[in-house]
Amino acid sequence: MLNAILHSATSPREVIALGTELLALVVIIVIFVVGSFAVKLPIGLAMVAAAMGGTLVSGLGIPLRHLVEGGFGYIDTILVIATAMIFMKVIQQSGTLDFISREIIIRYYKKPALLLMLLMLLAMFPGMITGSSTAAVLSTGAIVAMVLINLGIPKVETAAIIAMGGLLGMIAPPVNVPVMIIGGGVDMPYVGFTLPLLVMTLPAAFFTVLFLGLKHCRDLDVEAIMGRLPEVPEVSGFLLLSPLLVVGILMVATQALPGIVPALGMPLIFILGIITAIFTSKRVRPFEACASAIKDALPVMGILVGIGMIIQVMTLTGVRGLIVIGALSLPSVLLYLGIATSIPLFGTISAYGSASVLGVPFLLALLGGNEIIVGSALSLIASIGDLMPPTALAGIFAAQVVGIDNYFIVLRKCIIPALVVILIGIFFVIYSKHFGFLIL
Amino acid sequence: MTWRGNKATAGIILAVALIIAYAAAQSFLVMAQDDVIVKGPGVSEIRMLGEYFSGLKNTAGDTEIYILRGPKPGGRALVLGGTHPNEPSGYMSAILLIENARPQVGELWVIPQSNLTGFTHNDAQEASPQGFTIPTSWGERYFRYGSRATNPINQWPDPDIYIHASSGQRLSGSEVRNLNRAFPGRADGNLTEKIALGITELICQENIDLTIDLHEASPEYPVINAIVAHERAMPMAASVAMNLQLDGINIGLEPSPANLRGLTHRELGDHTDTLAILMETANPSQGRLRGRTDEALALTGKDDGYVKAAQLGRLFVPYDEGGHPLEERVGRHLTSINEFFIVYAEMYPESPVTVEGIPLLWDIEKNGLGAYLLQPK
Repeated sequence: MLNAILHSATSPREVIALGTELLALVVIIVIFVVGSFAVKLPIGLAMVAAAMGGTLVSGLGIPLRHLVEGGFGYIDTILVIATAMIFMKVIQQSGTLDFISREIIIRYYKKPALLLMLLMLLAMFPGMITGSSTAAVLSTGAIVAMVLINLGIPKVETAAIIAMGGLLGMIAPPVNVPVMIIGGGVDMPYVGFTLPLLVMTLPAAFFTVLFLGLKHCRDLDVEAIMGRLPEVPEVSGFLLLSPLLVVGILMVATQALPGIVPALGMPLIFILGIITAIFTSKRVRPFEACASAIKDALPVMGILVGIGMIIQVMTLTGVRGLIVIGALSLPSVLLYLGIATSIPLFGTISAYGSASVLGVPFLLALLGGNEIIVGSALSLIASIGDLMPPTALAGIFAAQVVGIDNYFIVLRKCIIPALVVILIGIFFVIYSKHFGFLIL
Repeated sequence: MTWRGNKATAGIILAVALIIAYAAAQSFLVMAQDDVIVKGPGVSEIRMLGEYFSGLKNTAGDTEIYILRGPKPGGRALVLGGTHPNEPSGYMSAILLIENARPQVGELWVIPQSNLTGFTHNDAQEASPQGFTIPTSWGERYFRYGSRATNPINQWPDPDIYIHASSGQRLSGSEVRNLNRAFPGRADGNLTEKIALGITELICQENIDLTIDLHEASPEYPVINAIVAHERAMPMAASVAMNLQLDGINIGLEPSPANLRGLTHRELGDHTDTLAILMETANPSQGRLRGRTDEALALTGKDDGYVKAAQLGRLFVPYDEGGHPLEERVGRHLTSINEFFIVYAEMYPESPVTVEGIPLLWDIEKNGLGAYLLQPK
């Protein structure tokens, strides 16, 4: 892409402008790498330093307003993460996760393939309803993780499965925020996407869970598994399930009955779930759960603030445009390769950001195909951004859910499913005209 | 090397954070200062939008309506600027109308800052300038460069999904603060929907015959340098587009899509008797392909990234090193508005709107925007 950028400059003025923007990009990357790996700053702080380096080298000093404004870009996401994390800790303490895990295994252990596919749908469900992979991983993802681990699937594969479940849930209908962002950029209403998105996400989801999990689930010894499960508190199943029911019902109701149930927002829904758990379980220790959850989530929340600053600085200095132009400058033969690589790589910043910054120009570059199919496919490819470090929202939280500190070993397990997702996306981009019949 | 914290370092970091917050707050508060709009010779009266929908009174969404009455009765035209406050040619055109236009027949109503709360902040991660300065013969005029959306201070949080009330259309959650996705508006809705309802009510109560909503779009956006017309307004818009082409102004004509809801050209046309029009000019400072983002880009429209994109065939408007300066964009809007008044008077002779004093494209390109901005008293 850099080659494309440099060869695209045709006048001395353009070369100078490109030089400044390229220098800013290089400085941002170098400061981030040195700060996080050599100096071992927290990643969020390394990003702040990188953002300031980018503005300094561009002759803009340290523009406080821009740094603060960019840092607040993900405030809503940060609130979702904080409350979802507390919710997950609370339902761990209450025994809800153990209870559901035990029930699912008892009922379905004889059909492991079916069990795994149903678990994948369960892991995807909150993402399908809210459009947030983080919400999925930290709610039903935690339940599914408990079941998978108890079935004997290693923690790393388990984390990879729920991470993929979270991001595919984010893309699956009825709610797909990345495609809404892409559609918003070209005034394409969110209509007709249901079947295309199902056709793209479900095969990828079932492949992922069977590829990573099935080999560990053959000849299950249910007695041994039940022996490994922690004791479930002696209260009614309804009480144990009530926090999840509250969250699930509110998630669905706010989407299904918009005129009747007000839009509460994910943070408030999770808080209502937390309050329900406090009143229905004596095992819940709310202050401990809050402290533990925030401690676990703080690094990611810091990264989101830092990422917000970097995006603002990239926009301010022209680096963002440089990257987009570079991607669009690729010869048409390489355009699909550019889509397959640049959209997931830009997801290091965020899947939503990638959909907005690159998804819209690529959709415009591909006008002439079926825009709904292309938009759906681009959103599918953008979802992989939620696996890309350092943000890797779906991946890092999935690792935390199963208790793995090193996210990179989870990322390795996600490579093949992620490649399958990208290939499915590219296939639909190339042959979009042939899939118009999916639009109902 | 590892970093360990203790209570002292926590205290220091907290103090530094507070100092940064205070300093940053000062720059954000600059956006709360109102723009100066000078009453021109044609202005007869200034009203507030809250007079048409009481739910807007004493809210951040209430905004000024400038009424310019001609000596002879005729039709009524409404011009909306600042529906999107990050599209400066829209509200600058409206301001130039207020400060220069003199209706001879009928009435011209102008809302220069339709989404006033959107002028009080910038979109996070867009790195927009906070404002820009226009030089004049007597000094400078400063105008804010705002956000596409209502300020979250006034309307927050966004839902996960924005569901347009009257159609059920689903859009990403942040669109809930986009005024041009909120029409016709709702009395019990959010602030943005209330502003939309105020405008709809104004059109109904005052029998506005013609409504023109002024916008800008990024050069890679397909609907650009274009008129978008509701089906009832299409014959008039077609004549206007033809006349503008004959005058050397290249402009497209698009029908208002029936399935794209919440926009002025669709909902005002469907829910009121007005002839609803929306116009777009090319503004690179809101595009995704732009280079450095600053005041100069907003004013000159010059951007090397867009020059390259044009060479790659990725744009929907011609683009070269000359860019698309604000003078050109405002001039296009005002010349088109003038043409609309002429054609409207021909097609609806029983209720004409005739306006003098509108600066046209060639006037503005020759004399600059500053020549048409009045000196505040």
